Amino acid sequence: MTRVMRPFFTCAEHRDTEAPRPIWEDMPLCLGVSVVRGRARRATRRLCIASLAFAVVITGACRRGPAIDTIQIAAVAASGALPTDDPLSALWDRAPEHPAALLVQDIVEPKLLQPGVTRVDVRALHNGEWIAFRLGWADATRSMLAQSGVTSDSVAIQFPVQAGSQVPDPAMGEVGKAVHLLYWKALWQDDAERAVRGQDRVSALYPNAAIDHYPFLANPAAKEEMARRYAPADAAGNPITRRASTSPVQELVAEGYGTTTAAATQKALGRGVWRDGRWLVAIARPLEEGDGVARLTVGQRTFVAVAVWDGALRQAGARKMRSVWIPLVLHAAR
Amino acid sequence: MARVNNWQIGRAMDYWYSDNRPTRQFGAVFDINKCIACQTCTLACKTTWTSGRGQEFMFWNNVETKPYGYYPLAWDVELLDALGPQTWDGTKYTGRTVFEAAPQGERVLGWTPQAIDYASPNIGEDEITGSVDQGLALGLPQQIWMFYLARICNHCTYPACLASCPRSSIYKRQEDGIVVLDQSRCRGYQECVRACPYKKVYFNPSTGTSEKCIACFPKIEEGIQPQCFVNCIGKIRLQGWVNPPERAREDNPIDYLVHVRKLALPLYPQFGLEPNVYYVPPVNVPDPFLVQTFGPGAPAAVKTYRNARNDKTLAGLFALFGSTERTIPFFRISGDEAIALDDDHREIMRVPIYEPVYIRPAEDPTRRIIRMNTT
Repeated sequence: MTRVMRPFFTCAEHRDTEAPRPIWEDMPLCLGVSVVRGRARRATRRLCIASLAFAVVITGACRRGPAIDTIQIAAVAASGALPTDDPLSALWDRAPEHPAALLVQDIVEPKLLQPGVTRVDVRALHNGEWIAFRLGWADATRSMLAQSGVTSDSVAIQFPVQAGSQVPDPAMGEVGKAVHLLYWKALWQDDAERAVRGQDRVSALYPNAAIDHYPFLANPAAKEEMARRYAPADAAGNPITRRASTSPVQELVAEGYGTTTAAATQKALGRGVWRDGRWLVAIARPLEEGDGVARLTVGQRTFVAVAVWDGALRQAGARKMRSVWIPLVLHAAR
Repeated sequence: MARVNNWQIGRAMDYWYSDNRPTRQFGAVFDINKCIACQTCTLACKTTWTSGRGQEFMFWNNVETKPYGYYPLAWDVELLDALGPQTWDGTKYTGRTVFEAAPQGERVLGWTPQAIDYASPNIGEDEITGSVDQGLALGLPQQIWMFYLARICNHCTYPACLASCPRSSIYKRQEDGIVVLDQSRCRGYQECVRACPYKKVYFNPSTGTSEKCIACFPKIEEGIQPQCFVNCIGKIRLQGWVNPPERAREDNPIDYLVHVRKLALPLYPQFGLEPNVYYVPPVNVPDPFLVQTFGPGAPAAVKTYRNARNDKTLAGLFALFGSTERTIPFFRISGDEAIALDDDHREIMRVPIYEPVYIRPAEDPTRRIIRMNTT
């Protein structure tokens, strides 16, 4: 059963039924203020000011306050295109927000013993073909580029490949019980945005650096082949370099710690926005993607888990903040 | 953690994986006394392997000036400081290794250099331990000293990089003990960068993965020494195979220098990795510094080295350094010649133990002039 909790001072009930009644309709005392004198008049004036302040608070809350669902992530049915690349879209307001509590990864070494991000606010929408999540968390620093001693801000959503009673260990799954992950990395998004300006990762890190010589630049005919030769991860076809990818989201599968592998299909999309010390990241995937990854259907109840890496704190890999399994329900269209 | 035997510290120690020594182990000896820090080794490596984008500050081979030179900055003193007292009882290490000193939740005691720490590869170059005051005369022991330390990956028996990788992306080749990082598997967590006490794993910001020295394994597989060895103009390096002490052979050049004569010593054995590049310690350096850097055997090694010229086997073996591109698994001394032998004990080549010396009187009686030394 879905239990939706409303935060104090929100007007979700009004939004669902009718427009909120103007606050001044309930304030006849204010209108009669001129006939009251002396101490009574001053007291009435104070009451009026307090009432007006109360009204401002309420009105503000009415406009911004989301519905909070502490029990589960409810993916609300929407028609048309989902805001897969717009975490600021007003469409997200239609979905209740689940505040997912994060724990330190303290199961396997290397552990994270100093907590980083402790809460991620998750919303979800689906349109019968795709599901989109929006994850928001506080992060005072925007870490995009990775270099020695610095990692990129990242977030991931994890699904059990087989839902139901066979749900795997939330800590990266287990042998024979795989998990499917959508992994967004700020670096990869930055790559795409920099590519428009013709800037690679090294020139972004060291914009004023003068390079004596790259051997591949001396040979225009074989430039790409030679550049690959001097980039061993590219030459080895490691998908982590993301050379051929335009999406900042990578799909992964895992059967336990240390087994993360790129999924056979890479369809996930997403985009993050960092503003005022907060990341808002939209991540989307098709409900049906093929074999080996989690299959989602409308009306289904399954689980997701989330994890966040704070680049400024050098978090990467096992050094992360992670959640337990959180119920996910895909509401049918009304 | 498993218990493994580390002969370099004279005891068993904790390690992340159980003991599994390779069929044979890449080994090398560097004679520090001959190094002039010309960086030819550095460039040989750089042009061969790390000329790409993202590898600008990556030096799989580097030569630094000790005691004040580092690459990356403070690589050894950072860890020495964190490790605490490093005490020896004879040849047995009584302090803690980086595995035994691992903090809660960690596999290895380590630290991660920042990008700025790689920004000055030659910082401290040629810096000596004191100022040369007016009136200071050269004397022995030298009051002011420095030495050059050429460094590559040590292809350790118990690599900290390998132990630290949560994805098992680093492995030790069974056939030659070379430690390699699987470039198709690495996800750039930098755990190895943090764990390697020698800081010989580097993060490539262009690919987002970590990279390290591969001991030029395509050459090793062909029986040829790595680039930094064959390009060394000072002929300070010899590559071969090193056995554990109980299987040491007198006709194996690395075993002979390491185990039989105890002349070549590991770099910071107290870290506990059993590194397989061995150094003939510099003769001009005070014992306390040598012991900290190369272990308790350093003073005796210096004494042996000082007499090496008069020792036909040692002199012959040092004459083989840099004498051939081929790996020298075995050697023997025959008359006044040192002979390099291959795996089947067939001769690779031979060199005279002592170069002939010609003495000419200062005065040329024919031309009636005084000869000038021009070298």
